[in-house]
This record gives sequence, C-alpha cells and structure tokens, in this order.
Amino acid sequence: MIDEQVTQNEQEIIRIEHLSKSFGDHEVLKDIHFTVNKGDVTCIIGSSGSGKSTLLRCINLFETPSGGQIFFHGEDVSKTKNPDTYRRNVGMVFQSFNLFNNLNVLSNCTLGLRKVLNLKKAEANEIAMHYLKVVGMDAYVKARPKQLSGGQKQRVAIARALSMRPEVILFDEPTSALDPEMVGEVLNVMQELASSGLTMIVVTHEMSFAKDVANHVVFMDKGVIVEEGTPEQIFDNPAEERTKEFVGLNK
Amino acid sequence: MFETIGNIIKEYYKWILEGVGYTMLVALVGTIVGLGIGILIGIFRTIPTPRNKFLKVLKKIADFILSAYVEVFRCTPMMVQAMVIFWGFALVNNGQTLDVTLSALVIVSINTGAYMAEIVRGGIISIDQGQFEAAHAIGMSHSKTMFYIVIPQALRNILPSVSNEFVINIKDTSVLNVIGFAELFFQAKTIVKINYETFATYLLVAAIYFVLTYSITLVLRLIEKKMDGKKNYKVLGSQNMDADSYALEMRGGKND
Repeated sequence: MIDEQVTQNEQEIIRIEHLSKSFGDHEVLKDIHFTVNKGDVTCIIGSSGSGKSTLLRCINLFETPSGGQIFFHGEDVSKTKNPDTYRRNVGMVFQSFNLFNNLNVLSNCTLGLRKVLNLKKAEANEIAMHYLKVVGMDAYVKARPKQLSGGQKQRVAIARALSMRPEVILFDEPTSALDPEMVGEVLNVMQELASSGLTMIVVTHEMSFAKDVANHVVFMDKGVIVEEGTPEQIFDNPAEERTKEFVGLNK
Repeated sequence: MFETIGNIIKEYYKWILEGVGYTMLVALVGTIVGLGIGILIGIFRTIPTPRNKFLKVLKKIADFILSAYVEVFRCTPMMVQAMVIFWGFALVNNGQTLDVTLSALVIVSINTGAYMAEIVRGGIISIDQGQFEAAHAIGMSHSKTMFYIVIPQALRNILPSVSNEFVINIKDTSVLNVIGFAELFFQAKTIVKINYETFATYLLVAAIYFVLTYSITLVLRLIEKKMDGKKNYKVLGSQNMDADSYALEMRGGKND
C-alpha cells in the first residue's frame, strides 16, 4: 500500500489544487483540483465559456492564477519568478497554430533548441528532423508557414512542441480552426503520440478523440469540474445531470 | 531653355554632384540611424511592466523621457530643430560650432528617430499575440522573442513606412541649407547667385530630386517583393506519394 503511494507520487507530473482565476469580477475558474500522471492523456471537455482554455493557459502560466497552487513534480510553480524555465518542460499547441511566420518549418522547430537549450546546429537539426518525420512533415523543411495548409501547420506546431522534449504537452483546441478534412490528419498524429506514451492535456470538442484516446476525461461547466473519470465513466455512465446533458447532445 | 540647363550642367556638374552626394549621405545615414533609434525605443516601450517596484518607477521615468523626445521632435519643424541644435551647441561650446556635416547627420538622425519610434511601435503592435505566446511557450524570454521573432516580422511590415521616411529625408535635407550644409538645394542657391538663371537651375534640381526619390522607391519595392518569397512550395525529393501529390495540388497548375 505504501509502496503504491510512493510510485504514484513519482509518476505525478502536474497536480492542481484549489486553482481559481478571475478576470475582474468575473470568476472563470473556481476551486479546480486535478492530477496528471506520466503517460496520461487527459481530455478536458465542456461547452464554450466553461473555462477549459483558461485552465490550460493557467497550467502554462500564460494566465496568472488568482488563487491556489500548481505543482510541477511536487514544486509549486504558480508564483515562480521564472516562468520561462518552467515552460521548457511544458509544451503548448495552439488552436491558431502560431507558427513563427518569419521562419521556415525546420527553423520553427530548431529555434527553441538552439536559443533556449543552446544546442549546436547539427544536433538541433537532427532532433527537429526526427520529430518532423513523426508528424510526417519532413518533406517540407524549407517551406514557409504561409505555404502550408492548416493541417500541415498544426502538424509542424506539434513537431515544434515535441522538439523541446517537454514532459507534457498542452493542446488548446488543436483542431477547432481546421476544416473537417484536415482534422483527421492532426488527430491521427495525436493518437500516435498518445500511444507512444507522451503525456498530454487536450482541450477539445472532438468527443470521439476523448472517448477513444484519453484515459482520463474532465468535464467542466461554468468554471468548475463537474465530473471526471475514465472515458467509459463520463461517456457511458455519467453520474451528474449536467454531464448527461452535455454528453447526450454530443452523441 | 534646354540649352541653359545644359550649360548649367556643363559648368556646375561638380557642385551638383557634390550636393547629390551630401544629400544622399545624410538621407541614408539619417534613415538607418533613425531606424536604429526607433527599434531600441520600440523594444523598450513594449517591455512588460516589471513587478519590482523600483524598476517599475525607473521604467516610468524612462518612458516619460522617451515620449517627450518623440513628441518634441515630431511637433517642431526640422528647420527650426537644425537651428536650435546647431547654435545651441555653439553656445555651450564657447561659440565654436560643430562640423556642419556632422551636425546635419545628427539632426536628421534624431529627427527621423522620433518618427521611427512610432513606426516601429506600430509594427510591433501589429504582430499577432500568438507569435509572442508561441515563443514564450518554448521558454523564450521577452528579449529573445523580440529579437528572433517579433522584430524581424515587424521590420517586414514597416518596410513601406521606412521607405517613405527615406524618401522624405532625401527631400527634407534641403532645409539644412539654413546651417550652411552643402546639400543639393544649397548648391542650387549658390549657383543661382552666380548665374541668375533661377528657373532653369531649380527646374534641373527638381528633376534630380525626382530621379533620386523615384529610383529609390522602385528599388525598395523590389526588395519588399523579394522578401515576401513565393506563395507555393515544392516538396523536397520524393519521400512519399502523398507529399508529392500535395505539392502538385499546391502549385495550382502553374509549373515552375
């Protein structure tokens, strides 16, 4: 029993306790708790305005939490003076891709390796090429972002996040800005990453992805976590009325 | 008429060329140094407010000084600035004036800097917030983000405004005749004092100004086009079928 406790702690990457966030008088997040262990694929679902993107941005410290703690390997980072150092270990993939427009595909992936981690050019290129192959974009190394389709951009953005070899990658509605044909190519890449053991926190409206790929689903509404559990619990046997309503609508 | 102009060229081409040289020197150096000043101020002004109270006050003071500089130089004519700086320097330097060419370079540079500061600030603001966030997400600091991501994109966006400043500077150096700087207009004035061919001389000078500014405009447009690159992308090698068919599709029927 005690042994199990210890291994569980070693597995823990992020633990959030009593997290709250207000913009002025508007309380967006209220008393949020949850834990992400190594290898977890956590999907955060919920309707628009439920606070899921804000939660993700708090984890990355893009938003400063109004209260509560965020523990990264047991260390509270919510008030750190050096968010840049913390963010090296926490990748992010954005809804609007946000590739660096002035750099080509390869440089998008190597910039962080060279200027943040101070790796040599050859080494950085090797790492970036490896991850560009993983997402199937290695044929486009010299392309500029504006020469790519939305799905291709997002795959490069995933490779960019992977290149930093973070411990966890946050996905903020990665397919919401894509047309239906391109959603598939991005979800496939994400599914492969999930099965390779990457720790992921995904805010998504893709219910089938949450159902098939996640091992932990968090349902949020009006700034609180209404219910969380395995995909089976949330999608097949929801306990809360609000969850039933949401899941029912999205069937 | 054309004969008169021909004669002026024959007689005074050395003076005219000297004037063109000085005009271009001051316009070019003034624009580049001014852009440098603008970039520094632009970066400084967009630094997020520090949390440390002492630094916060320091930044407030610096911000105030910088905006005073920008507004004073934007809200007074360059001709007056030239006089104030040139004779002001002489006053504090025991009546000894600064070298005229050096004065001209300094005046145009700091005047342009005031305009550039606003242009660069606009360029930085125009960059999508997502670019900043993406850079911070891979652990880049504010200064690295600015240097590698934001400033290169901002510079591309403000290039038309910078070209515009350059063209304005070529023409506006003419006001520096008030401190006796031997640029093109000053040379024309001197020539007229000798030959009394007022119209012909100034017509010639007008034509020279036009050729200078218009050719510079064309060159800068070409540079802009070059910087934008192609809209489509040809896939390297043929690692997979999928990529190749995609490349064909993206070429949109246009073979290159």
